[in-house]
Amino acid sequence: MEKLIQAIYGGIVYGSIFGMMALGLTLIWGALRMLNLAHGSLYLVGTYIAWALVTLLKVPMVPALLIAALGTAVVGFGMQTLFLNRILGKPGWDVGSLIVGVGVGMALDQSILLIFGPRVKQMPPLIPGVYKIGRVVINYNFLVVVAVAVISLVLLSLFLSKSRYGLAIQAVSQQPDAAQLMGIPTRTVFLIVMCISAALAGLAGALLSTVYQVQRESGANAMLMALVVTIFGGLGSVKGTIWAAYLIGLLQSFLMVYLGAGTALPGVFLFMMIMLVIRPSGLFGLGEAQRL
Amino acid sequence: MIQEESVSRQSVAARIDERLKLSAVPWSRLSVVPVVIALLVSLALPWATDLLPFGKFVLHLLILFFLWGIVVQGWNLIMGVSGIFSFAQVALFAVGAWTSGVITQQLGWSPFVAMWFGPVAATFVAVILGLPTLRLRGAYVVLLTLGFQELFRNFTTQGPNFVAGGGYGLRYVPKFPFEEWVGGDKAQFLYYYLALVFFVIASFAIWRIFYSPIGMAFRALRDSEVYAISRGVNPFRYKLFLFGFVAFFTGWAGAFYVHWYGAISPAIMLFGTTINLLAMIVIGGWGSFWGPIAGCAVLTVLPEIMRAVEQYRILLLGIVLALVAIFAPEGLFPLLLRWVRRLLGRQA
Amino acid sequence: MLKITNLEAGYGGSIVLHGVSLEVRDGEAVVLLGPNGHGKTTLLRTISGLIRPSAGRIEFDGKVLSEMSPAEIVAAGVVHIPQGDLPFPELTVLENLLMGAYLPDAWKQRRQKLEQVYELFPVLRERSNQLARTLSGGERRMLALGRGLMSNAKLLMVDEPSLGLAPFLIEEVYRKIRDINKSGLSVLLADENADHIAGFADRVYLLEMGSIVSEGTAEEMLKNEALLAAYLG
Repeated sequence: MEKLIQAIYGGIVYGSIFGMMALGLTLIWGALRMLNLAHGSLYLVGTYIAWALVTLLKVPMVPALLIAALGTAVVGFGMQTLFLNRILGKPGWDVGSLIVGVGVGMALDQSILLIFGPRVKQMPPLIPGVYKIGRVVINYNFLVVVAVAVISLVLLSLFLSKSRYGLAIQAVSQQPDAAQLMGIPTRTVFLIVMCISAALAGLAGALLSTVYQVQRESGANAMLMALVVTIFGGLGSVKGTIWAAYLIGLLQSFLMVYLGAGTALPGVFLFMMIMLVIRPSGLFGLGEAQRL
Repeated sequence: MIQEESVSRQSVAARIDERLKLSAVPWSRLSVVPVVIALLVSLALPWATDLLPFGKFVLHLLILFFLWGIVVQGWNLIMGVSGIFSFAQVALFAVGAWTSGVITQQLGWSPFVAMWFGPVAATFVAVILGLPTLRLRGAYVVLLTLGFQELFRNFTTQGPNFVAGGGYGLRYVPKFPFEEWVGGDKAQFLYYYLALVFFVIASFAIWRIFYSPIGMAFRALRDSEVYAISRGVNPFRYKLFLFGFVAFFTGWAGAFYVHWYGAISPAIMLFGTTINLLAMIVIGGWGSFWGPIAGCAVLTVLPEIMRAVEQYRILLLGIVLALVAIFAPEGLFPLLLRWVRRLLGRQA
Repeated sequence: MLKITNLEAGYGGSIVLHGVSLEVRDGEAVVLLGPNGHGKTTLLRTISGLIRPSAGRIEFDGKVLSEMSPAEIVAAGVVHIPQGDLPFPELTVLENLLMGAYLPDAWKQRRQKLEQVYELFPVLRERSNQLARTLSGGERRMLALGRGLMSNAKLLMVDEPSLGLAPFLIEEVYRKIRDINKSGLSVLLADENADHIAGFADRVYLLEMGSIVSEGTAEEMLKNEALLAAYLG
């Protein structure tokens, strides 16, 4: 019984974090048609900025998290303006954007390594202490992480579906030519999407580092899971991604609790691959997955 | 009337000629003299390195160049030419290595026999992976192949002991019996020659496909897939073929590697190796034939030269990759070649 | 008033439009006739700013459109309703319409404009919460027109309004466009088909091979049956 609670509760935590990571990826895919392989590195950037602020500069947790998200957004801004904008709209975009993502991601990873060194880092928890239900231990910290993640997801969803600019972002993702004809500034939209996506990744990284230790591989792992969630939910679909995040989060959690930590990653991947074979566009994907 | 006939016969002949030229082995593209010289030089190289103080190291580098050269050419053929964005090439290399290594370790067979199972296994795996994957568009291929590589890496880290060796991979794998044959000193020569043979055969096979109607069709397809599909061309079978074809040589290289190095670690399937190979293709010349080979040469040597500043090297590599993708998408070498030609042109 | 002088434009290396000159006076309904592939869409896209002209000048209400960005051109009051409608498939009809009023001035008045559009196209009010991709061909055409009207348009440019529609729907679409024109908006309409010019257009231009080969009032053009034989029914 307590295993079940553990599994569900863990699933919700994972789901929340995956949701934040994956949402950024899916937004970029939707708007820019780019598979942003630098996403994991952006996650790391957020983590390390937060760590440095809290540990070295003694900044309190909440502002540190916000600055980390902002800082990561700036990095995303840089990537877009320095590199991506130059090949935007040109025929070599698919390949070029992929490689830019790889290159910038590598450079960021290495920079972090050079600046901070290889040793593992740990952030202090947001709210220390635990809450016990019988023999199940629930960290307050976990709850806070979930709360923050859920709030961000909700805010973002509302922004996208109810505000003028949010609708514009959706419009550009769905039909960029028509959007231009309506006066929507597509280049600016792309930039904003990149910044939002980066901020989400950075925030996710900073948040999760209060729970788990941080190392260089964390970025790649996080990105891999985000990719899985994005695919499963359907590239480009916000609603699908959020559903998928929690489903995959629960899947991972159940695998870990009932079958052992080692089965989580392969299990999830296997699931993704089968999923893609059966229904390539994912839960709510914006089509285009299947060739004609 | 007679004039018309002869004209039409001429045009028919011209058209047949054209088709023959296309499908025939493109020997005309190959100038024999440089190739023969290159072959002779490469045969003599080991002896030359012997004269150098760090000769052994150079020989080691050359063998690495051959191995990764095979992998990179194959990856370029499927990705740069045919648009298959596979990120599972290193996994296929590993499949080859593990298959051959395990066979020699568990069944006691000779590496010369076992090494053929490597490529076969790799091809088999590639076809199975390719069947569902290659029907989908670019981004999904990236994800599925990435996923596969991660799965396999996981398997070789946490799997049964004879595969994962407690997380270290394979160790103490029987090598080719070259040491017994010619004694420790000259053994590396034989490794070198075997690798050279592999490299030449693989390169030739890839070159054949590159300039064959299939290769040319693919290059056209890559640039306008929608058009090709609208004309009824089904690229899937060809892609599957190419994917398996390349997997064979990639697995071959892996099998050689494990019997040369004597070990293989799952860490090879971390993203770093893949990125290095990607850099060779991007910087060397995406979709060109010689580009990736040149890129491989540079990026095999460079890490060793820059050992002291290893961390900066990777940082630099990342930045260079991004810059090349933006400013020189065909690769640095084609760009350099053009500048050189322009310079020579001006002087002439 | 829209005034185009000696326009030259194309894609990549090839020039599609050669020395095109054309006018749409305030309140006019002008039809641009021509076979498909001869530059009608290119012309409209050049006016709306998606294509940069290589020579010539486009002026509207004293502003030089040929030097402005698409967003500025929309703000100036020139709205292009593209061929094939290009709706936002995963947004509702209402959301599609709202996007038509994206620019700040139009956005402030979006509720009034929405009412106006619903008056003109009642079917859109019925379907306002449906996703755009579930609409039928005729409804999508109405949506595209309605979307264009949500802005503060002074000149509406419609590309192939008859594309893919059954004859009775085509009639209805033209009727609506006529009503729009009667309410004061200038209209520049590009079509391959001359069936509905009578009673609708004030003037007609004939665009062939990227050049204006003939122009005149609707009566003059209709009388020239030989000319129009290719373009009728």
